Amino acid sequence: MKIGLFIPCYVDALYPEVGVSTYKLLTSLGLEVDYPEKQTCCGQPMGNAGFQDMAKPLAKNYAKLFDGFDYVVAPSASCTAYVRHFYPQLSGNSPHICEVAGRTVDLVEFLHDILKVEKLPARFPHKVSVHNSCHGVRELGLAAPSERNVPPYNKVIDLLKLVDGITVVEPQRKDECCGFGGMFSIEEKAVSCQMGLDKLKRHAETGAEFVTGPDSSCLMHLEGIAKKEGIDMKFIHLAQILSSGL
Amino acid sequence: MISHSSASQEYLKDTATAARHDETFYGVRHKRDVISRSLPEWEDLREAASRIKEHTLENLSYYLTQFEEKALENGAKVLWAKDAEEYNKIVYEILSGKGIDKVVKSKSMLTEECHLNDFLEERGIQVVESDLGERILQMMKLAPSHVVMPALHIHKEDIGDCFREKISGTENNNDPTYLTHVARMHLREKFLEAGAGITGANFGIAATGEVVVCTNEGNADMSTAMPPLHIVSMGIEKVIPDQYSLAIFHRLLARSATGQPTTAFTSHFRGPVPGKEMYIILVDNGRSEFLKNPEHWKTLKCIRCGACMNTCPVYRRSSGYSYSYFIPGPIGINLSMLHNPKSNSGNVAACSLCCSCDNVCPVKVDLSTQIYKWRQQLDSFGTASKEKKLISNVMKTIFNHPNLYTNLLRISPLLNILPTNIGLNPWAYGHKMMHFPKKSFHQLWKEKKV
Amino acid sequence: MEREESMTSKEKIFANLNPLHNDPVADKPDLSFLSPTSYQDPLKVFIETSQTNAGANVIELNPDEDINQRILLAYPEAKIIASNIPDIKANLNPDAIKEKSDLLKVDVGVVEGKIGVAENGCVWVPQTMKERAICFASENLIILLDKKSIVSNMHEAYRLISENSNYFSPYNFGTFISGPSKTADIEGALVFGAQGAKTLTLILL
Repeated sequence: MKIGLFIPCYVDALYPEVGVSTYKLLTSLGLEVDYPEKQTCCGQPMGNAGFQDMAKPLAKNYAKLFDGFDYVVAPSASCTAYVRHFYPQLSGNSPHICEVAGRTVDLVEFLHDILKVEKLPARFPHKVSVHNSCHGVRELGLAAPSERNVPPYNKVIDLLKLVDGITVVEPQRKDECCGFGGMFSIEEKAVSCQMGLDKLKRHAETGAEFVTGPDSSCLMHLEGIAKKEGIDMKFIHLAQILSSGL
Repeated sequence: MISHSSASQEYLKDTATAARHDETFYGVRHKRDVISRSLPEWEDLREAASRIKEHTLENLSYYLTQFEEKALENGAKVLWAKDAEEYNKIVYEILSGKGIDKVVKSKSMLTEECHLNDFLEERGIQVVESDLGERILQMMKLAPSHVVMPALHIHKEDIGDCFREKISGTENNNDPTYLTHVARMHLREKFLEAGAGITGANFGIAATGEVVVCTNEGNADMSTAMPPLHIVSMGIEKVIPDQYSLAIFHRLLARSATGQPTTAFTSHFRGPVPGKEMYIILVDNGRSEFLKNPEHWKTLKCIRCGACMNTCPVYRRSSGYSYSYFIPGPIGINLSMLHNPKSNSGNVAACSLCCSCDNVCPVKVDLSTQIYKWRQQLDSFGTASKEKKLISNVMKTIFNHPNLYTNLLRISPLLNILPTNIGLNPWAYGHKMMHFPKKSFHQLWKEKKV
Repeated sequence: MEREESMTSKEKIFANLNPLHNDPVADKPDLSFLSPTSYQDPLKVFIETSQTNAGANVIELNPDEDINQRILLAYPEAKIIASNIPDIKANLNPDAIKEKSDLLKVDVGVVEGKIGVAENGCVWVPQTMKERAICFASENLIILLDKKSIVSNMHEAYRLISENSNYFSPYNFGTFISGPSKTADIEGALVFGAQGAKTLTLILL
């Protein structure tokens, strides 16, 4: 199976170790993984800010770069959701773009739903609190949203349970937004930071050492607030835990 | 244009009040979650309600015609108002024509939308709100902060002080039960004096021409049972086909709104009581135009339960008054943009796109998608944020030129010395700056170090 | 423009709406996927919901019990009892009210319910008296209800209502009542007796 690795811009610039972990994890599972170097950003920041037209060339470029892969895998639920759910309308339903966007999956979906992994060599003897990011839960269906009357499930937790020595907990209000929201965190900074602080406190109340999740963006927001407020908490992307034995 | 962002920054300074506001409304959402799980068919009910609403709105001329015919057969008088101005005039003319100078009113968002109270009061007609929360707000000269629980943000001490000033005989006691019963006695006099009762309508049933009003207090019933005249104010989007549909909406409304299995009273007005009069005023005020908007017509499916407010993490932390429109939260953002996009664009940023509202809406309005779409239009209204446009343009240039992007990545560690002055760097308002590593993933890949 | 000015408001509104469809009723959405919960023992669920969610008192009347005795037992201090039900001993008749203010002096109103709904404790009370205010203005309300008239859910209730046009004759009004009047408008504290009855007693016959 040929996998195209999509490392979103902010992961590329700020969290290269998340990209490295994802690559290691995928290759350890016997997959052929390539990283097209001309990739940049999915365009979500412009879209959410109200300028999705500026993201149109990005969709086109994305489809060109990731043509010919069986799947495009990204360690970011939010960027994946933007590609899969918004590229069709951005491209006027261009069949080619729709097709590549449709083959784009978040790392959690890929491991859980496509590869259906049952074992990982990972070991992480720590207590972690799961950050159920909004787009992961409500756009990609990584977990049952707390608002819906559907049977409970959580693909992130399913994967974490494969890790040796780990203790997995969830905070109260387990899928309430942390307040990042891209440019929301700048334009609505007071509300955004209050949401982040509230979320952080609920994660801390679990007694966990780490907060983990499929989106480095939420973790970046929470980490920035934790450091400013002097709250002792560590943040780690899910890919880093799942690849911890490699 | 009022900016939600600056208003909420001000609101959040009182951390205790803001925290209580958040807890209170999250509590209501939690009750909604619990009761929705008691019905295995919950998600199917939402889907059914959504389909009925879309069908009705697509065939509104048919259902409104049927509704009017049946209402006339029932002996009600039916009037049509193109806009708020005409609506207010109609109500005034009905009242003044009969020499009525005192009316009681049960809660109606439509009358708020049209500013009916001010219009009537300016012309010498006393209007008394009969919903307890609305009455408190009226006496305190405040606007509602929520569609279902309009005064929940006010402290009982302030309500006690207000009652002691306005209602003679009120004791120095701020117990909610005591204060509620003070209001009960006070309002009973008003019901007795009133020449007319004005209500809104939760639903209009096309097949029977009846109007359905749901309350917990029974105030719509007191407002209509005592006076000889009942005036119903109903937005044209409130009509639904039949009682089969009504059952679906009834089961969803209170559960979504407050987490109760029903409101205490669900009253069905199928024409006037013999010897009395009933007017139904069907109000457009922009709705028929909104229905022609291919991107936003579905906003009109809303049944005003307020569930989207209760779940909205932004609403809960900023309260109703931070929004420029009288209906706050996700549905308020969307309605405000339909009614007056230029003066309400400041609300559109008040959404982190967490999509929780989409999942609680009993009629499946795609609230967050609608907000996303409104954002795309701000530039055409001339109300887009200059900063966001600039940032987006910079991003466009960088991201559309992969070579430029990779070159910039190489020098990104320079950003580690970015100023932390909040004016120049809003991220520094609540965050410690992130640290750019020496090498990006791109570079590591190029150097074969992945 | 001239045409616009001569149009009535109704015509102006309709000009904006989709043109009248031949038979929209035939186009009604398919809702066959919806299967409402029904209970094996609706009476039991009804009593439970009425007492817990709705906040009503429920009395099951034994066949040998006298209803008027039971009412006095429930409200021993009642001075004015209003009802037009033939078997009920009342001293105020809502069909013959002289002063409207008398309606505000009722200690106990006694009315008849026609359908009970298990899922939410709603009781269908069609107006069967000239002054329906007794259903709302009485300090305390008693609703008499036949145990056999309890259904599982609102779908069943509205089906019965749509099949029985008598419910709206001659007064054009009917209401579902579930428990006493309530409010939580002051700091979210639940208080009974906002505008309507402070207590509701259901007597099941």
